[in-house]
Amino acid sequence: MSSILYVHTGGVNNPERSATPIYLATTAAAMDVEVGIYFTVNGPTLLRKGAAEALIVPKFDGTGAPLRRFIDQARDMGVKFYVCQPSLDLHGLTRDDLIDGVEMIGGAAFNDMALEADQVICF
Amino acid sequence: MADAPNPDRTLDAKGLLCPMPIVKLAKLVKEMDSQQVVLMEATDPGSVPDVTAWSKNTGNPLLHHETTDNVMRFWIQKA
Repeated sequence: MSSILYVHTGGVNNPERSATPIYLATTAAAMDVEVGIYFTVNGPTLLRKGAAEALIVPKFDGTGAPLRRFIDQARDMGVKFYVCQPSLDLHGLTRDDLIDGVEMIGGAAFNDMALEADQVICF
Repeated sequence: MADAPNPDRTLDAKGLLCPMPIVKLAKLVKEMDSQQVVLMEATDPGSVPDVTAWSKNTGNPLLHHETTDNVMRFWIQKA
């Protein structure tokens, strides 16, 4: 099975950057690709409990849908979510602040995933 | 590409935008039996390259596709 690892650095302060990696990861999972998203830098702020319900992914016409819908779609398709501790510390977050189902990894595990993946795509 | 066979299932993805048509297609095909055919209708302008790429990567053949009045129709067989 092919694999893609997405790296998501966008956070709640940039709603227009929040959803695209999640859309692409969901599509890859639908193509029978093994997919993970590594949330780092500002990415973990999207995973704080309540954040994705409040964040509206904007559309040009002023409408939009909450990010949570796209997170749920991605995980329903089997996309795995990862974070690392230092990027939580940047934002004063702990693991308990995050939505369920996010796996904690460290830098070595991330680099190993990158070496094993067929492609790494960074946002 | 062969002619359009009679479908076993249909999927109305008209009005849905990326990534939903492909997500719904993948979910439906998982429920189907081998050799069954789904007819999918979509209006997302990226659908032809998207369904073609999905078919190539999942190994479920795209038997036929056609476009009429901005509606794209795809006949896809489960491998």
